[in-house]
Amino acid sequence: MILIGLVLVGGGVVAGVWYYFTPKYTRVGYQPLQPVAFSHKVHVDQLGLDCRYCHHDVERSWFSNIPSSSTCMNCHNQVLKDDPRLALVRESAATGRPIAWVQVHKVPDYVYFNHAVHVNRGISCVECHGRVDQMDEVFHAKPLSMAFCLECHRDPASFIRPLEKVTDLAWRWSEDPAEHARQQQAWGRRMVEHWRIESLQNCSACHR
Amino acid sequence: MKTLPPPCPEPESGRLYWRSLDQLARTPEFQQWLEREFPEGASEWQDPVSRRHFMRIMSASFLLAGLGLAGSGCRRPEERLMPFAQHPEGYVHGRPEYYATAMPTRTGALPLVVKAHEGRPIKIEGNDRYPDGNGGTDRWAQASILNLYDPDRARRITHQGQTVPRQEGLDFLTGLAGELENRRGRGLAILAEPGTSPSRARLRRELQARWPEAGWYEHDPLDLAVHRRAASLAFGRPVQPRFRFDRARVVVSLDCDFLGTEDDAFQHIRRFSQSRKLEKPEDTISRLYVLEALLTLTGAQADHRLRLPASQIGAAALVLARSCGVQGLPEVPTEGLWLAWLEECAKDLVAHRGRCLVVAGHRQPMAVHVLAHAMNHALGAVGETLELVPAEPASEDGLAPLAQALRQGQVDTLVILGANPVYTAPADLDWPEAQQKARLVVRLGYAEDETFPLCHWHFPLAHYLESWGDARTSDGAYLAVQPLIQPLFGGISELEFLARLQGRAVTSPYEIVRETFQAEVRPANFEEEWKHFLHDGFRGGPAASLGRLALQESAVRQAVALVTLPKPGPDRLEVIWHRDHSLDDGRYANNGWLQELPDPITKITWDNAVLMSWRTARDLGVKNSELVEITLGGRTVRGPAWVQPGMADYVLGLALGYGRERAGRVGRRVGFNGYALRPGGHPHFAVGATVKGTGRNYVLACTQDHWSLEGRPIIREANLEQFRKHPDFVKRLDLHPPPVVASLYPNPLDREKERALHQWGMSIDLNACVGCSACVIACQSENNIPIVGKDQVRRGREMHWMRIDRYYAGPPERQKDKSVWRREEHQWRESWIEQVQVVMQPMLCQHCEAAPCENVCPVNATVHDHEGLNVMVYNRCVGTRYCSNNCPYKVRRFNFFDYNKRPLDGLYKGPFARRPQEELDLVKLVKNPDVTVRMRGVMEKCTYCIQRIEQAKIARKVQARDSGAVEVPDGTFTTACAQACPAGAIVFGNVADPNSRVSRLKRQLRDYTVLEFLNIKPRTTYLARIRNPNPAMPDYYEMPLTLAEYTARSGDPFAAGHGGSGARGHATGAHAPAGGH
Repeated sequence: MILIGLVLVGGGVVAGVWYYFTPKYTRVGYQPLQPVAFSHKVHVDQLGLDCRYCHHDVERSWFSNIPSSSTCMNCHNQVLKDDPRLALVRESAATGRPIAWVQVHKVPDYVYFNHAVHVNRGISCVECHGRVDQMDEVFHAKPLSMAFCLECHRDPASFIRPLEKVTDLAWRWSEDPAEHARQQQAWGRRMVEHWRIESLQNCSACHR
Repeated sequence: MKTLPPPCPEPESGRLYWRSLDQLARTPEFQQWLEREFPEGASEWQDPVSRRHFMRIMSASFLLAGLGLAGSGCRRPEERLMPFAQHPEGYVHGRPEYYATAMPTRTGALPLVVKAHEGRPIKIEGNDRYPDGNGGTDRWAQASILNLYDPDRARRITHQGQTVPRQEGLDFLTGLAGELENRRGRGLAILAEPGTSPSRARLRRELQARWPEAGWYEHDPLDLAVHRRAASLAFGRPVQPRFRFDRARVVVSLDCDFLGTEDDAFQHIRRFSQSRKLEKPEDTISRLYVLEALLTLTGAQADHRLRLPASQIGAAALVLARSCGVQGLPEVPTEGLWLAWLEECAKDLVAHRGRCLVVAGHRQPMAVHVLAHAMNHALGAVGETLELVPAEPASEDGLAPLAQALRQGQVDTLVILGANPVYTAPADLDWPEAQQKARLVVRLGYAEDETFPLCHWHFPLAHYLESWGDARTSDGAYLAVQPLIQPLFGGISELEFLARLQGRAVTSPYEIVRETFQAEVRPANFEEEWKHFLHDGFRGGPAASLGRLALQESAVRQAVALVTLPKPGPDRLEVIWHRDHSLDDGRYANNGWLQELPDPITKITWDNAVLMSWRTARDLGVKNSELVEITLGGRTVRGPAWVQPGMADYVLGLALGYGRERAGRVGRRVGFNGYALRPGGHPHFAVGATVKGTGRNYVLACTQDHWSLEGRPIIREANLEQFRKHPDFVKRLDLHPPPVVASLYPNPLDREKERALHQWGMSIDLNACVGCSACVIACQSENNIPIVGKDQVRRGREMHWMRIDRYYAGPPERQKDKSVWRREEHQWRESWIEQVQVVMQPMLCQHCEAAPCENVCPVNATVHDHEGLNVMVYNRCVGTRYCSNNCPYKVRRFNFFDYNKRPLDGLYKGPFARRPQEELDLVKLVKNPDVTVRMRGVMEKCTYCIQRIEQAKIARKVQARDSGAVEVPDGTFTTACAQACPAGAIVFGNVADPNSRVSRLKRQLRDYTVLEFLNIKPRTTYLARIRNPNPAMPDYYEMPLTLAEYTARSGDPFAAGHGGSGARGHATGAHAPAGGH
């Protein structure tokens, strides 16, 4: 009896770990404290900054850069220029010491993800990062596991959008979900064909 | 959606701490914290709760909080992102930057483009914009990147061996400059390495103008300036010879290893391979005759090769010269020379008047060089295949005069720039004693090596990748040397050091180079043209040929009154000190990549050996790998013997550059020191040595013990005549293919192939490949391939993804029976190895379409992608090694240890041995961030540079954006090996595009697959080698010797009905003839 019990408990633990210790549960919701209380909601939603104002290299490189303190100071040398919340930013811009932001989104070292090719080919920031424009403090919205990546790679037509709408995180084809889905499929399939989107599923695409 | 609480009014920086649960439960911080960590879960907390409910939530939350707070547990550790505070304009993180620069050598320079990632250089490529080149490099340029991150390089300024602060050292230089100015340079001697920098030449002229009593001496233990000196002597003005192998139809090499260890070999290889590439049978290729003592890469490419001791080459050259019509030559005994060979060779030269070339090697004395020029002149080669360009006069070697000046007390202050004379000086000069005669010795050196203990002051030299400077190629093109990174350890460039020594006002090397640019070019718009100069890396091109210069008859007559040395015999052996293929004169001893690079002929790593022919070993009673003692002129040196096929008899080959005492952690005490035996005047060969076996065995790490192809058509070659008669000869050499049964299931990749944008493939031209191994080092540099150390190489665990296989084939009449092919450990005993032909083949993952390695992986770590690549997924691999077992080409390499983290002498200690952190921190800077660094237990192999393929595809897609123009055009990028190859032997590209270069090569008649009978359809195919022997020569063979072996084993391939259906995967093949397979 004890043995059966142990086996059941062991099996349960293993199953639990197998299921719950996946990025969907361990990573989604991760919202670390950042050294500076930067709110995307204020800057993007309220003020209307485009993602690429700060993350300018997202279209040029695999790495979507965190903006330098000099980018912040473009406005904040006038706006809220003595506000204590920005003390670290001003100090960084003055001394040259970088602000040590906590990294929220990271894929494992054996995955080579490239931002530029996704952003330039119709994948919006919202697909992987969620509604960042509504976040006061950035949290990990999607699992970013391999299964998550394959969901889109297996069906790119459901996810690509016109290039000019890539940074418009709230954008949909229509407010009606059924209509949105219909238009998305119609347009998506045409564009996958037209743009010759490969949407690679073989290992060499990401694991070099 | 829940509502978020208002933001916390206090500034949030750093972690919040609390002292009790109560505080935690009741404070608004807790509420906020809870909200932030678990936005979904926090809504529960808003509702009014009971105590029990509270406890339940609290305990669960605390458990998870503890795990989360701890940072470990389920969550990955917290990592930080540090952007710039001030973003540099134009910098894109993750995108590499490329800068043009040049690697200065002792006789010229290589134009380069260096890739920098995150501000540090990581990969060196050739500059393909340079007009006289194809972007190829050599192994030294490729490996020099590792020298930049050498943990044993000099990092400090020392005085009497003690570290002094940098300012103190610089002040000392200023003081010294003042002192020398007062004396007007009396008692100053500068010992430098030869170089072609116009800025340094200008500084030197300034110095010698201000301090006429100062002495300037140059020292190169290999004396590579002999080419320039000889040409200048022969033609009566300072000129540099430029050998146009691409124009020559017949080339005769007098001990000149122009494809291997001569300087500018990368240029020679490029031009020579242009004269050897052919497409159709009616094309013509050049013919190469080589007279040499050692078996070199040039000898491996020879159509006819005469083995002669180096001391006898002069006599042979005289015979040749006389037959070519050169007048006024002295008489010389010709016994022991194969006169018939020499006469036919001369006839061939004369028949190709104006399109032939005679070259002499740097090891030959001046007389032979001058003879070669006399022959060139008589044959009308001057201005055609021998181009003479104006050059600075070459200096004589200054070490002996300097030693004499030191001993006579004429030198008070000795300044050594870069050279390592304590190690490289001839043994009987007793240089250490002479050097100590100077009152003050100041040295600018790259490492604290053998010369360092005998210097009073030592300054760290900057690497060329971190220096401003300039250089000229050997034929006069003006190149810029541009730094990729600030000096890592406060290194000082040679220009700055000299400027400070002279007490110059302007000491910044950047300004000095700009001054030189102004003086050399006199540009109309300085800044504009300076920017172009730095962008392109060069200005103008090589100097133009001076045309047909006249020979200085009297100079020639004087020079060729040579002293002939007696013929070597078993008790009077000839010793040849030759430039090591990997280590040069010893400067690369601490470069792990070069130490582990197998010598292309001997395939020995990590050691040098005493090379001797089969007959010499037999007559001396010496066994292979036996430790022997060589005695010459009263000095003795001990090293392992190596029986080398194809060597001249009674000659010993000693590679220089080994046996160093103070080379660093990698190079220390590797091999034995050939300099210790070298007499004064540093000749390159001497006769009179004796050898004694010690009976002790010395283990050598050789990567290829098996020397014979055993008659298998792995490398296919034919004579030009045979190719013309049977243009399909490669198909005829196919072995009988296995019967093909229908596939069990349709291959899903076939469907994907139709949709895919590209299909990658590669073609390697064996007529162009000379075996220089630049590709091996380029691959190692690009793909983060570790070195494994001598012990592991002995076990066959070297990690090179690409290797050059070298095979010998003996004359068929000497091969007694076929069983001799199999006894590889005794091959050195066989007499057939005396006279051999050599074939080379680069071998890398063939990316088979029906790869045997993919089927057998239990975890599916190696898969095929839709573009034809055999992909290796490191994170899935569990280390079964079944794939390597199944690979018929044996190109898969397994990481038996963590070669990156563990020290090479402590691999078996596992986690108890670790390389010092500061060494790891420095060496990891050379790694390519686009390629995974593999750990222990993972299989790896050539990936066709998947990172370059993906980057090119991504760049194209980013450019295409919302259009369908996503196909990568041919020539946009290429693999590291193809880019580095100076011969252009490797071509990579899209085989689905019928117009791509690789597709056109694969359609050639010479194209074949290695091991085609396995029907695994590799994407890498080879172009068979075509030899061009002269039927009139006494050592003419109707077919190349590997083909003779094939015939002995499998019957005449040109007989009717001989096997080889030729068709790939064809169901019915021709049946075997009676000859039997």
